[in-house]
Amino acid sequence: MLFTRRLMLGLAMAGSMAGALAVPAMAEGPTEIDLFFPVPVDGKLARDMGTLIKEFNETHPAIKATAVYTGSYDDTLIKTRASIKAGKPPAAVIMSANFLLDMQIENELTNLDPLIAADGTTKDQFLGQFFPALQGNAVINRSVYGVPFHNSTPLLYINADKAKEAGLDPSKPPQTWAELTDWAKKLTKREGDKVTQWGIAIPCAYDYCGWMMETLTMTNGGRYYNEEFGGEVYYDTPSMLGALTWWNDLVYKHKVHAPGATSGPAVSTSFISGNAAMMMLSTGSLTYVRDNAKFNYKVAFIPRNVRNAVPIGGASLIVPAGLEADKQKAAWTLIKWMTSPEKSAWWSRATGYFAPNMAAYKTPDMVDFLNKNPDAKTAVEQLDVAKPWFATYKTVPVRKTLEDEVMLVLNGKKQPKEALVAAQKAADETLKPYNAETSLKLP
Amino acid sequence: MSLAEPAALPVAASAAPRRHVLKRFVGRFNASLPAYLLLLPSLVFLALFTYGAMGRALIDALYQRATPKAPVRFVGLDNVSAVLADPAFTGAVVNNLVYAIGTAIPSIGLALLFALALSRTNAVSSALRAALFLPVLIPMVAASTLFLFIFLPNVGLLDYYIGRLLPVVPNWLGDPDIALYAIMVITIWKNAGYYMLFFLAGLQAVPEDVMEAAHLDGAGPFIRLRYIILPELKPTFLFVIVIATLNAVTQVDHVFVMTKGGPSNSTNLVLFYIYQQAVEHYDIGKASAATLLTLAALMGLTALSFRTMANREGGA
Repeated sequence: MLFTRRLMLGLAMAGSMAGALAVPAMAEGPTEIDLFFPVPVDGKLARDMGTLIKEFNETHPAIKATAVYTGSYDDTLIKTRASIKAGKPPAAVIMSANFLLDMQIENELTNLDPLIAADGTTKDQFLGQFFPALQGNAVINRSVYGVPFHNSTPLLYINADKAKEAGLDPSKPPQTWAELTDWAKKLTKREGDKVTQWGIAIPCAYDYCGWMMETLTMTNGGRYYNEEFGGEVYYDTPSMLGALTWWNDLVYKHKVHAPGATSGPAVSTSFISGNAAMMMLSTGSLTYVRDNAKFNYKVAFIPRNVRNAVPIGGASLIVPAGLEADKQKAAWTLIKWMTSPEKSAWWSRATGYFAPNMAAYKTPDMVDFLNKNPDAKTAVEQLDVAKPWFATYKTVPVRKTLEDEVMLVLNGKKQPKEALVAAQKAADETLKPYNAETSLKLP
Repeated sequence: MSLAEPAALPVAASAAPRRHVLKRFVGRFNASLPAYLLLLPSLVFLALFTYGAMGRALIDALYQRATPKAPVRFVGLDNVSAVLADPAFTGAVVNNLVYAIGTAIPSIGLALLFALALSRTNAVSSALRAALFLPVLIPMVAASTLFLFIFLPNVGLLDYYIGRLLPVVPNWLGDPDIALYAIMVITIWKNAGYYMLFFLAGLQAVPEDVMEAAHLDGAGPFIRLRYIILPELKPTFLFVIVIATLNAVTQVDHVFVMTKGGPSNSTNLVLFYIYQQAVEHYDIGKASAATLLTLAALMGLTALSFRTMANREGGA
């Protein structure tokens, strides 16, 4: 007994000495760090994360990382903020990409520039690995605050069988709003006053609604907010008015979209059950549709009115403020490893998100996967026209002011113009203290 | 507040000399020392996690941080007046009142009905009691997820049947005029079985001989209900009303899962409003102020109900 214990001790010491030889700074044993991760979509993400972290720990004896499940994107923000306040922040967090600006304004993020410089790379070299569209949500005031990890864009999903039935060619999906309206009319079925099949479904629940409004406004040539400065949103503008008016027309003029606000899962269930012939939804739902649709489906770009454009969704890896230097360094090692081409490609195949690292798509496994699942390509191709995700000071309340008004429009209680005026007013009110502190604070 | 003690204490204090009181007090304290020691762990946790948290909320409510760069400063009751001036808060209070009344009355009514129907114990009534109690056992979050699918527009269980009768099926959770009522249905479904338990217990306490006498005097079932059972159940009613009111304010899991307060704030309840202030607006001062207001209202309401209850007991 004693002998074995002594032997174990010796082995452990030998192990740590080997570790010490390899990384002299880590002589006192592995640096223990936590990684907070959310599971925002269905599937076995938590188990996949376990596999990933196990592999990391096996290949990096100087670091012992623990993956901590933290719920949805919103819950992850709450828990991260709570642990920062408690003085025990996790070393790294997979954070919804549009929360980064808000956190940076609240001084809750570590500036990653020094860590990048310490590696002997420049910022441009480092960011150059990722799709350009993702950089907007990761770089704030020319400093890097996040590393893109898994991302999404909205897509147009089409029930190909129903399209053929209606005399439409699913291999030539609608490319403009006019064509989409036309398709939706042909795909809507009625029995008297009652609609038995809707032409199109677009989700409008908190969070999703803002993202879809951003999508429609962008394809209408507009911007949703000031990408450079967190104090301005463009709700009361012609491009957004056009977007909301078209959405309203789909519901009340063309009657091809069900009235009322609908959640994301309600939209996908409606599509899967054949109740809606087309839908606009995240590429994050692609795996769900692939597994559950009992019909042929097609995915396509979001149709344009003025230009092709979509907002980015998904999450980036961040390092919270207030960490010790060794933990920061260990977190940085973990982040670089997780976002490397191979790991990023593996994670993309496991989850359905696309890989932010461009080199991931050149790895042999990924080339294979895309050949087998060509529908996974659309989101990646759409990245050429993707733009950053809505982010301001107090992102969530500012986004909600618009969503509340859009819901009133979709319920037939307000007209688009008055709704947007009200939303702009409420958002300006929320942004006021920040503007007073920044853009309106004159010397 | 206490029911029996006040009558005994003044007599003892006026009758015995001071020295004896002290002695008796020490004696009593020594006698009950083990009890206090046994209670100590609970008292410590109560102090830390209930009263400590309340104290912290009180302090937080007095401070404000305008922007992240501005320092935290003492603002007194500014947060309270800001909350009272916020239309979202008044909206949440109105919603909560509608929700409290609209869930308490039907669920208590149903509970009484179930209890009366199932008061005699036999195999059938036991099985029915269990069936009615089942919703209580389902966690609120699970029940809400279940109803999320029942309420799905066009394809959900509800629309599948109602859709055959109505020309236009409502979007249950997506229409601001309907969503709050849809949520109330779940609460009633979930709570009625729970309140039934209290009424079943209350019915056990109805004196057998009084009922028998009424029977002999030829009182029909309605007369017996009106003049014997309902008066006997008064304390139960008061207790259940307090519980139902507290439930209406403290349970928001279903709002969180099903609507997040939407569409257009139509299902926003007070507790969810507090969550929004703390988490979404990141405004701890305002969240604490709203918490204090809610706490004060609830404590007032509870005290009032218990007092009414004590008076009734005393009068009987």
